[in-house]
Amino acid sequence: MSYAQPPRLLKKTALLLSLALVASTALAADPAFPKAPTDKVQLEVWSWVPGLDKTAAEFTKQYPNITVKITNLGGGPQTYTKLRTAIEAKSGAPDVAQIEYGFLPAFADTGGLVDLSKYGASDFKKYFVPWTWGQVSPDGQAVYAIPQDTGPFAMVYREDLLKKYGIATPKTWDEYAKAAATVNTKSAGKVKLGNFYTTFAPWFMAMAWADGGQFFKRDGDGWVQTLNNASAKKVLNYWYALIKKGQIGTLQAFTADYWNAAGAGSVASNFEAAWGPGGYAGSLKDKSAGLWRVAPLPQWKAGGKVASGNWGGSSNVVTTQSKNKEAATLFSLWLNLSQTAITANWNNGGLFPASDAGLALPALDDKTKNPSKFFGGQNISAVYAEASRGVNVNFQWAPWFPAVNDNFNKQMDKMIKGQFTPDQALDAWQAETLAGAKKEGFTVK
Amino acid sequence: MTDLSLPTALQAPSPRRKKALANRFTPWFFLAPFLTVFAAFFVAPVGYALYLSLFIKKRGGFGPARQAFGGLTNYVRAFQDSEFLQSLLHILLFMVIQVPLMLLAATALALILDGVKNGFAGRFFRTAFYLPYTLPSVIAGLLWGYLYSKNLSPFNQITGLKTDFLASGILLFSIGNIVTWTWTGYNMITLYAALQNVPGELYEAARIDGASNWDLTRYVKLPLLRPALTLSAIFSVIGTMQIFSEPFVLRPLGYVPDNITPNTYLYLVVARDGNFSYGAALAVLLAVFTFILSGFFLRSVQGES
Repeated sequence: MSYAQPPRLLKKTALLLSLALVASTALAADPAFPKAPTDKVQLEVWSWVPGLDKTAAEFTKQYPNITVKITNLGGGPQTYTKLRTAIEAKSGAPDVAQIEYGFLPAFADTGGLVDLSKYGASDFKKYFVPWTWGQVSPDGQAVYAIPQDTGPFAMVYREDLLKKYGIATPKTWDEYAKAAATVNTKSAGKVKLGNFYTTFAPWFMAMAWADGGQFFKRDGDGWVQTLNNASAKKVLNYWYALIKKGQIGTLQAFTADYWNAAGAGSVASNFEAAWGPGGYAGSLKDKSAGLWRVAPLPQWKAGGKVASGNWGGSSNVVTTQSKNKEAATLFSLWLNLSQTAITANWNNGGLFPASDAGLALPALDDKTKNPSKFFGGQNISAVYAEASRGVNVNFQWAPWFPAVNDNFNKQMDKMIKGQFTPDQALDAWQAETLAGAKKEGFTVK
Repeated sequence: MTDLSLPTALQAPSPRRKKALANRFTPWFFLAPFLTVFAAFFVAPVGYALYLSLFIKKRGGFGPARQAFGGLTNYVRAFQDSEFLQSLLHILLFMVIQVPLMLLAATALALILDGVKNGFAGRFFRTAFYLPYTLPSVIAGLLWGYLYSKNLSPFNQITGLKTDFLASGILLFSIGNIVTWTWTGYNMITLYAALQNVPGELYEAARIDGASNWDLTRYVKLPLLRPALTLSAIFSVIGTMQIFSEPFVLRPLGYVPDNITPNTYLYLVVARDGNFSYGAALAVLLAVFTFILSGFFLRSVQGES
C-alpha cells in the first residue's frame, strides 16, 4: 500500500489494514488525515519550536513525497515582521508559519492566509479542545489556522514558602489576597506572594478572560472593542490594591531580575500559562528545583468548575503564496494531531497540545523529565488540562491587537506611577487604541 | 596642456566629431558602475518609498484591506499625529543634550591623547576609547540592559540605591548614556586624526612666541579642530535622528514608549501595524527633517566663521 492516508469513508477498514501491514504508519488514536499529494513536494515552514526539524523528519517517513524544510526564527516580534514583510512583498513567504492566537486576526487582515476550510480543515474541529477552534475560526466558517499549542492559566507556587508562612493553597482570589498580606507581614516585606506583569497585556487579559471578560467582538459589519470591560476593571483594581500595599511585585517577565527573585525565593507564587513551567525549569535549573508546584487558578467564587483564561499558545497557518496548499494543510494537521508530533513537540519545546486527545498523552506526565521533575514530580499537565477545558470559548481578538498589546504598557506605567487609577488606565487604553484602529480604517465602536 | 589639444582641433571634422562623442561618453562609462549601484540601491528605494507613501488602506467589513491612492493623506496624517510629533521632540531634546556632551568629551580625550608623548600609553588608550564603537549596537544595548537592571545592576549594588534606569522618566538619558559610550571614542579618533595633520611648524612657532600648553591648546589646536568638529557634529546630528537599536533592544526589559525615537515609531507603524504606506510617508518626512536640520546647523556654523 502507499503511504498516503486513506479517504475518510474507508477509515476503519484502512485503519485495520494499516495496523496489520505497517503498524508505524498511523497510530490508532490519530485521526484520518487528508490524502497526501502523489507528486513530490517540498514545504517550507517557519516556526520557533525547538527540535521541529526532527519532528518533520518523522513526517517525511510517513509521507515520503513531502519533504519539509524548517526555518527556526526564534519567535518574538521580529518573527512577525519577517512574515509580514514577505506577505506584503508577495514573495518569500513560507508554506506554513507559526502565529500566536492573538496575532492571527492581524495576519488574516493582510489577506496572506489561506482559508483552510477549503482544504477540509473544518472536519478536524472535533479533535481540538473547544476554545482553540474559536481562536482560529472566529466567524465559525473561515479557518485561518490549525491550533498548535495552548497556554491555559494556572498558579505556580513555592510549596515550601507557603508552608513556612502557614498558608493553604489559595482557592479563591479572596484567599489569595489574604495570603498576600500574611506573607508580607511574616517575611517583613522581603517576600512577595505574587507578581504583576506590567508589560504583558495577554497575561492580564487571561485573568479577565477567566472571569468571562470580552475585549473584542464582531458585530454586524464591524467590530466592538471593550478593553475597559467589567471583568478587566475588577481584575485590575484587585491587583492594583495588592501592588499598592507592597504585597505584590512588578518585576518584568522573563528578565534576569525576575528569574533571580524567583530562584532566591522572594516570589512565592505566580500565574503562568501551560508553557510557563518549562521556562521555570530551564531558567532556574537547580535553583529552587523541586520546590515548585502547580495549582488551579484561584476563582472569584468558591466551588464549581475551574474557569481559566489563556496566555499565548500558537497556531499554524498556510500562506496564499504556498504552491502546495493541500500538503501544507496536511502537515499542519499532522503536526498538531498525530501522537508522534504532539509527543515530540512536548518533549522538545514544551508545547502544551491543543489536541483534545493530546492532553491525555502519557508523555505529558513523565516524572523523570522536566517540567514535571522540576515541579517535584507532580502531574502538572493534569492541572493545565483541566484549566484548558475551563477556558471560555467565545474569546476573540482583533486585527489591531498588536497595537493594543503595546499601548497596555503605556497605561500600566502611568498607573504604577500613580498618575492613573486602574479604571482610568483601562479607559485610556480603550480610548487611545480605539482612535488608532479607526485611523487604520477599521469599522469599530 | 593646451598645445597638446591643438593637433586634434586641426584634424578633419568627421573623426573630430567621433572623438568628441567618445569624449562625452567616457566619463559616463567610468561612472556607470557607481551609477548603476546608486540607482538600484538608493534612487529606486527612495522613489519606491515616495510612491508607496501616496497610498492608503481602504477597508469594508472583515475582509483584507485594499490599497487605494490617497494623495497626500498620509502626510496630512503625520502632521496631525501627536505621537510622531512627540517623537521628534524627544529626539531634539536628546540631540541638544547628548551631542554637545559627547563632542566635549571626545575633544578632551583627543587633546589628552595628542598631548601624551608616550607611545605605548597613547596607543593603549586610543584603542581602549575606540573599543565600544566596535561592538554592534544591539550587543551594547543588551549589555547596558543588564547594567541598568533595577535589582542586579552593579551600580545599584555598589551604591545601595534602587535606581530604575529603565523608568520611563529617565529612559531617554539612559539611552543617551549608551550612545555616548559607543560614539565618543569614534569621534575622538576623527578629532585625534585631525590633530595629527597639524604641521609641526605651527607648534614650534607658537612655542617660540612663548605659548604655554594651555595657550597652545586654546589658540592653536582648538581653532584647527573646528572643521573636524563641524563634521563630527553633522554626523552626530544625522546619527541621532537614526537611533533605533538601543531603545528597541531595551523594550523587553520594561516599558519603552513606542515613540521614544522617530525610528522606533516608524518601525512599529510598519512592522507591528502593517501600515507600510504611512511608514513610508514618515520615513520621507524624517529624511526631509534631518536634511533641514543639518543644513540649518551647517549654515549657522559657516555663518560664524
